[in-house]
Amino acid sequence: MKDFLNRLLSTAAENGIEASEAYYVEKESFSLMRCQGDGEYKSNQTRGLGFRGLMNGRMGYASTEAFDDEAIQQLVKGVKESAELCENDDVQILYKGGDQLPEIQLYQPQLDQVSAETKLEAAAKLEEMSSGMDERIVNGYYGVETGKVTVRIMNSYGMDRSYTENVCAIFSQPNAKDGECVSSGGYQQLERDFSKLDVEKVAKEAVKRAVDGLHAQPVPSGVYRIVLDPEAMTSLLGVFATVFSGETEQKGLSLLSGKMGQTVAADCVTLVDDPLMPQCFDSRPFDAEGVPSRRNVLLEKGVFQGFLHNLKTAKKAGVESTGNASKAGFAGAVRVSPSNLYFEKGSISLEQLLKNVGDGIVINDVSGLHAGANPVSGDFSLLAKGYTLKDGKRDKPVERITVAGNFYELLKNIRCFADDLTFPGGSIGSATVDVGEMTVSGS
Amino acid sequence: MIDKRLAADVLDAALSTGGDFAEIFLEDRRNQSLVLESNRLESVNSGRLHGAGIRVYYGLSAVYTYTNSTDREGLLKCAKEAAMAVKAEKSGIVTAKPFVDTVVNNIHPIYMYPSKTDTRKKADLLRCANAAARKAGEEISQVICSYNDSEQDVLICNSEGLFVSDTRVYSRMSCQAVAGSGTENQTAHEAPGAMKGFEHYLNTIDADVVGRKVGQAAIKMLHAPFCPSGVMPVVIGNGFGGVIFHEACGHSLEATSVALGMSEFCGKLGQQIASSCVTAIDDGTMPNEWGSENIDDEGTPTTRLVLIENGILKNYMIDRLNGKRMGMAPTGSARRQSYAFAPTSRMRNTFIAPGVDDEAEMISTMGDGLYAAKMGGGSVNPATGEFNFAVNEGYLVKDGKIVHPVRGASLIGKGGDILMQIDRVGQTMTMAQGVCGSLSGSVPTNVGEPWIRIKSITVGGRS
Repeated sequence: MKDFLNRLLSTAAENGIEASEAYYVEKESFSLMRCQGDGEYKSNQTRGLGFRGLMNGRMGYASTEAFDDEAIQQLVKGVKESAELCENDDVQILYKGGDQLPEIQLYQPQLDQVSAETKLEAAAKLEEMSSGMDERIVNGYYGVETGKVTVRIMNSYGMDRSYTENVCAIFSQPNAKDGECVSSGGYQQLERDFSKLDVEKVAKEAVKRAVDGLHAQPVPSGVYRIVLDPEAMTSLLGVFATVFSGETEQKGLSLLSGKMGQTVAADCVTLVDDPLMPQCFDSRPFDAEGVPSRRNVLLEKGVFQGFLHNLKTAKKAGVESTGNASKAGFAGAVRVSPSNLYFEKGSISLEQLLKNVGDGIVINDVSGLHAGANPVSGDFSLLAKGYTLKDGKRDKPVERITVAGNFYELLKNIRCFADDLTFPGGSIGSATVDVGEMTVSGS
Repeated sequence: MIDKRLAADVLDAALSTGGDFAEIFLEDRRNQSLVLESNRLESVNSGRLHGAGIRVYYGLSAVYTYTNSTDREGLLKCAKEAAMAVKAEKSGIVTAKPFVDTVVNNIHPIYMYPSKTDTRKKADLLRCANAAARKAGEEISQVICSYNDSEQDVLICNSEGLFVSDTRVYSRMSCQAVAGSGTENQTAHEAPGAMKGFEHYLNTIDADVVGRKVGQAAIKMLHAPFCPSGVMPVVIGNGFGGVIFHEACGHSLEATSVALGMSEFCGKLGQQIASSCVTAIDDGTMPNEWGSENIDDEGTPTTRLVLIENGILKNYMIDRLNGKRMGMAPTGSARRQSYAFAPTSRMRNTFIAPGVDDEAEMISTMGDGLYAAKMGGGSVNPATGEFNFAVNEGYLVKDGKIVHPVRGASLIGKGGDILMQIDRVGQTMTMAQGVCGSLSGSVPTNVGEPWIRIKSITVGGRS
């Protein structure tokens, strides 16, 4: 591969591309999903290359999954055409490297040694345990996944950096049925060490969620005190994280623009982006431009500390890159994204938080995020599930309600975080949070 | 893309451990995308997707492997890996039957192939939409326009002798406008596309009109109050309004959920599942439509399928593997985003057929409620039937009269309940383009309907 990359960089130089960079990704993944005793087994090895280059100050992009001689010609031609047509006058930069990278252990060689048989056994056990745990569980999806990815960035300035990461996961999505009533549950666990996957715990938690949701009903429409559990809060944060991006701000799409140093959230809110936590799954020693990763605080006790940047947006803002260059796959343009983004936990227990709230609704699942939440306006109206809270205790299951609000207002209305910080999807974290009153639409 | 001799060797390798059926899906796709924002062409990106997926069944279990290495060595390695995962209990090895050439009858003529169209023309289209959107008023603070096109060559062959190839051409533009007051932002969005080349933007779509509509809608929403919340009658406009059928019912009629007993519509063929004014169709054969094909991603010719006729459930959408589970024939509905996904049953162009009702009467007799003129996307859990989708542009109706616009909200419910609540179906059906995400990735789908009225549905507003 090194030979292909070198030929590509030199062909680009011969064709008048002043500086160029190859972003190469190699992936291996394995998954087994079981459903009603049948299995769907998938495995693959793929590679892809994103190529970009500077001509007359403009950056051109092209990509390929084919690595023949035609590919080199196509990439060089694509980058030239792209650079010629682009009208973006921002100063474009390829990173020269040469600096020290942080140490972070994302690769466990023993995970690669886990046999397919062992993975198949884990999936079968997960299905068997989940199905047997409660007679109301009628069907479901149960799966095991492992993945390994190597990212390499090589450019005409001589930078050549790479890292390899591997990860394994199990998930359970059972459906419970009682009479005509059906309820779905879901739970997953991500690890780097296969032996840490806890089949029993995942089965138990997913079954509990499915069964707990049976016979849920909407509540009457009105204004309620709302508690978001970590799943619900991280779902919201995932959609609205883009408002902290310097790129979003420079396009005029973040309402945090011009608010650096100002209070934009309640004083119990501290929001951190940290790519250097090996236990999380958006970790990396360097970003998509090769810039070393670092921890950034976005909100400190409610005060906005500044946007996340890549090299281009940082230059335009007159600051340093925060190491948040990102790429959607190997083919996309360089953008700005958070890595592991989380709200710092509070100091009281979950029980205490619920007790303080007294009466209200705890939301543990929101859906419809891709359409019902708008990161430009901050508005959201989402289908939600959870349970009512009476005197700080779980009362009745609730479904088919919507919670509606605005993310910027929600940040200001947060009253308290509990101390149960988790990262449900692996990279976005929150504790259970009391967000005050919100409009609920139900029956 | 590959010769028959290699294809046969690869299929035999995939079947070498006792699989019942093997298939190769080979893809070579050339994409281009352009983005214009902040009044300038921000990026032009061209790419090539290339790879092959190999599938083997044994009983009702399936193995899927894929790779970018499509030479003999790479494909055989991929096939052997698939074979290794097969845990067949029967003895005896099946081999691939001799190939029978199938020639695709192309019903989607292309006049301006993306790869032969000057990229500058595509850029000019975006400039036109951008200028029109900004002309809507000074409150327009940003306009983001994009253009994406692709030419996808596929070759599909299987151990039952199928050997077929096809080319699919897609193009789509999108325009999003943001209206801002400094403290608030509101957005509007349109994204027309087709299974066509650039001719679509010369003959059918006027970028100036697209931009203007989007700009005006964003400004309108900036000045609109919040939508009310509660249970009320709702009239849904035509075009993208069809997303209600897509979410509330369409996904639950895909064999993906039906075959596994995970749909509220399991076992209901021949039964009434919708109000008798509802007829719904999923049609992959409409020439040059966004969700159309000649053959599906298993090589089966695409079809026109009546899903619901006058409220009675007539058909499910079925792929090969789930067809085996259900004991029913595939309906040409197997689709996948790319070689990196195993195919499963998916919607194509899915719409509620025109009815007999008058649009003005729907509003004038509805009392107090909501007219949802523009819908956003949505989602559903087929196992429970719970769905949600977004209203991007709504109007408050009081005493049978449209009063004023209201800001976005969501509509939620259970599919089975809502279909029975439809009491009016208008006469003019239009379709709009969407990208539908599910187990086999993101695929282009049309949604469509005439105006319809739902007697009672939960509206998730904020006032």
